[in-house]
Amino acid sequence: MLLTMFLLGALYVVFIGVLLAAGAGVVTMVVVIGALSLAQLFFSDKLAMSAMGAKIVTPEQAPGLHAMIERLCIQADLPKPRIAVADTDMPNAFAMGRSQKNAVVCATTGIMNILEPHELEGVMAHELTHVKNRDVMVMTLASFFASIAAMITQFGFFFGGGFGGGDDDEGPGFAVVLLVSFAVYVISFFLMLALSRYREYGADRGAAIITGRPSALASALMKLSGAMQRVPDQDLRQASGMNAFFIVPTSVKNSAKTLFMTHPPMEARIARLQQYEAQLQGTTAAAA
Amino acid sequence: MGLFDSILGRTKIKQPARDRLFAMSTAYITLETSMGLKHRNAAGIVFQPLANADFASIVKDTDELLRSAAQDTGTTVESSDDEYGYSWIVLRDSDFEDLVVSLNVVSSNLEGGGYGDRLLCAVFSFESNGKPLYFIYNFKRGSYYPFVPTGEKSQDVEEALRLKAGIGGELPMEQELDRWFPLWEIPL
Repeated sequence: MLLTMFLLGALYVVFIGVLLAAGAGVVTMVVVIGALSLAQLFFSDKLAMSAMGAKIVTPEQAPGLHAMIERLCIQADLPKPRIAVADTDMPNAFAMGRSQKNAVVCATTGIMNILEPHELEGVMAHELTHVKNRDVMVMTLASFFASIAAMITQFGFFFGGGFGGGDDDEGPGFAVVLLVSFAVYVISFFLMLALSRYREYGADRGAAIITGRPSALASALMKLSGAMQRVPDQDLRQASGMNAFFIVPTSVKNSAKTLFMTHPPMEARIARLQQYEAQLQGTTAAAA
Repeated sequence: MGLFDSILGRTKIKQPARDRLFAMSTAYITLETSMGLKHRNAAGIVFQPLANADFASIVKDTDELLRSAAQDTGTTVESSDDEYGYSWIVLRDSDFEDLVVSLNVVSSNLEGGGYGDRLLCAVFSFESNGKPLYFIYNFKRGSYYPFVPTGEKSQDVEEALRLKAGIGGELPMEQELDRWFPLWEIPL
């Protein structure tokens, strides 16, 4: 984790240096992308919810889910998030919102039907850990520079033909900036995926600690990994944009290519949860 | 949990703040004299049971300790599990201070065994004009808040706010209203 973040940071420092050397237009670009990232940070919850067709539910509409989350919040020392339910058979859950105060936790009707209460509790604790760890904020910040790089790459392709061989005082050629941006984008893309996988392990571990039942989450993950593959492809594609904060990625094909995945492989997650259970059974202190 | 822990994704659960539990042993007098409440001779503590032998033996020892102490104090002890998978120890005694002391026995035993982070809350049962109301002590936050259930899944927030205003500085009250978590189906 530290190494990943260090590499990300180092990469951006180099990148910014090169950009500054390249000269004009950079400030404007950073401001524009900064605004876009802020918008993403503020509206991601609404976007995700509308994409999933999720609606906020009151305690009267979903008393069981509310009561379960309330107790988990006491245990995790979190303010109560808004709770949403998406009416779809695809079993999934996600957490959104830029801060602990603005969080939304969503479950689909599918996941509530498939899982036993204690398994659902494990999944909800996983999502609450995303909230507690401020994962939306972390991932947005991490993606900020990656999107700058992506945008410059696009600008490069766009203007490359029209302004090729323009002024002499440009410093390093635009082609160099373009190449560097592209390299930065590719590398940061993989680092972000690594970061996302790390956050998933973190959320699993948090769920184990909050509920005190690592095996319940493991059993939920096993159920879900089986169920996810039975779901029609159309639903998967529709929701593929928001993988980062789902409990299970919506596409689990090619699970061998770990490098390209937002979530760690299911077997690895279950193996870690089994370790926590072993710690729980073997020592006096809770899984640490 | 500090910002650094949250950046690194390390979840920690707060250890309980037991000291402020005792604020109730004096505050109940104010509740009864100036606010017209009556305590209902009952208090409970709710925690998350862990499925391992060590935890089970600590709970069993605590239960035995309470029952043997009960011969002197007259406190009755009941244990139960609720439908959310949490365990309750319910104590009944007409002496309010004995109740607070017994609750502290439970929390200090769990903490002594290294399971303090499994404590959820302590609940004190009162009534106002025959209607039940509760003061809930959140161990993570070290603060109290009132809870006035009116039905199976409904509560009277107005009454709860009035109780908070009435008690003033006597109890360490939870200031953030989004932490006033209801606790349904309290078995006391």
